[in-house]
Amino acid sequence: MVSALVIGGLLVAVFVGFNVGGSTTGPAFGPAVGAKALSKPAAAGLMTIFFFIGAWTLGRRVVDTLGTELVSQPGIFTLEASIGVLFFIGLALFVGNYAGVPASTSMTAVGAIAGLGLARNALNVAVMGEIAIWWVVAPIIGFWVSLIIGRYFYARLHRRVAMERSEPPLVEVDRSGAIPVPRTEETTNRRELFGVITVITIGCLMAFSSGTSNIANAIAPLVGSGVVEMNPAIILGCVAVGLGAFTIARRTLETMGSDITELPLTAAIVVASVSATLVIFLSAIGIPASFVVIATVSIVGLGWGRATRPVSVQGAMSGDSDVQVSVGGLAADDPDEEVPAIGEEEAADIPSAGDLFDPGTTVRVIAMQNLVPLVGTVSAYLAFRFVPIWGF
Amino acid sequence: MTRRVLVPVDGSELATRALEYALDVHGDDELTLLYVVGEASSMMGSATSLALEDDVDEAIAQEAQEVFGPARELAEEYGVEVGAEIGLGKPASVIVEHAENHDVVVLGSHSSGLRERLLVGNVATKVVRNAPVPVTGVR
Repeated sequence: MVSALVIGGLLVAVFVGFNVGGSTTGPAFGPAVGAKALSKPAAAGLMTIFFFIGAWTLGRRVVDTLGTELVSQPGIFTLEASIGVLFFIGLALFVGNYAGVPASTSMTAVGAIAGLGLARNALNVAVMGEIAIWWVVAPIIGFWVSLIIGRYFYARLHRRVAMERSEPPLVEVDRSGAIPVPRTEETTNRRELFGVITVITIGCLMAFSSGTSNIANAIAPLVGSGVVEMNPAIILGCVAVGLGAFTIARRTLETMGSDITELPLTAAIVVASVSATLVIFLSAIGIPASFVVIATVSIVGLGWGRATRPVSVQGAMSGDSDVQVSVGGLAADDPDEEVPAIGEEEAADIPSAGDLFDPGTTVRVIAMQNLVPLVGTVSAYLAFRFVPIWGF
Repeated sequence: MTRRVLVPVDGSELATRALEYALDVHGDDELTLLYVVGEASSMMGSATSLALEDDVDEAIAQEAQEVFGPARELAEEYGVEVGAEIGLGKPASVIVEHAENHDVVVLGSHSSGLRERLLVGNVATKVVRNAPVPVTGVR
């Protein structure tokens, strides 16, 4: 009986890891695969390796937080409860994916465990509060850093990254020798190579940051219940993530269903660097990070910073001649009016693309991202409180 | 008396139906299409992609053209000439703002999926509640 439960627990943990691998590979390596700098199997391989490095080094700190510190009595992590927690994490993520509502796996995991803790009256409120504060502070930091980059450095960065190229492949692996040696194609110039190395590096950084933060979501309840030791659990989790990366991630890599991968390459690099750095920092201090929220505010910060940059208008709107289009405040200039010399215009005259970023809409988007973790928390609380298998 | 009719469009089926109704009923009136650029996406990526373009106006005009193109074709079938306006930001507020210069608004009584509901809310309800002119909701 007990062994069947153990196997059940391991299976649910593998399922969560599998989904993490499937959903993280796209955002991490989408830009690299899209730029034809990497093949999909290579992306999955790198994903697995760097996820493992992240999980093994910093990831265990988050496992500790979730598995032992968040609840005041580790005893409540019975095997049944652990399976229940993992089940709610998996369920919430599935619902989120199904409805197209992105959600942070870590927030959902914390929510489910907090639900268990609340139901058992064993939630460590101090730890929960610390986590919640970082969930507010980290996005604010990400927003301002991205805003400053968008406002002052984006144009310069964009020029450096400019890597318009569709010819495959940039780097050829020479397998004629005993050891495969990557060799640049003759047509690849150094600048392109720099770009390729950048996108691959960013992908690895994101995979690493995901490892530091997400390994806990798959294994923390099992480690907390003492069923599995930390190290074997990490290895198991990483194998599951690798499985997801090599199988279902192929689809996410193709559809690039994430908003990050739809951004221009430069923007994707900025957002990925800022978010991954914050996530790694949070993991290092043992806080499960809310990657989706951090990345979203980083995207908003970058776009808003760029939209409100103090530059001059290039010219009156060209517009199709047969369509009399007036763009809200944008068409303030009369087409016949003399175009002012560059830099002469006041900042207030700039087409206000800033209107694209309505604060209310942004708040709504963030609120929506909190929906899945909230559902996870509430359903876990209700289940652990009242359903007889778990209830007292 | 010709009336000035505002028809918000977004390329959706329901909006197209609203336009058909408007063309049918208000064929002799002065019709103006309105498209609100910068739809909210799950991580705000679409708004940022627009904002990051070198020529934001051009990008906005291009996006709007994708919606106006088919709408104009439809209007041509009815032999009606239509004007076009572009707005930026929150659909409901922009529509209400533009409604001030019109006598009536005709729009789809939007009830798309859960995701859209969460992202932008029910645009039609907000417009009905806040518009300074009568609103016709088409189902």
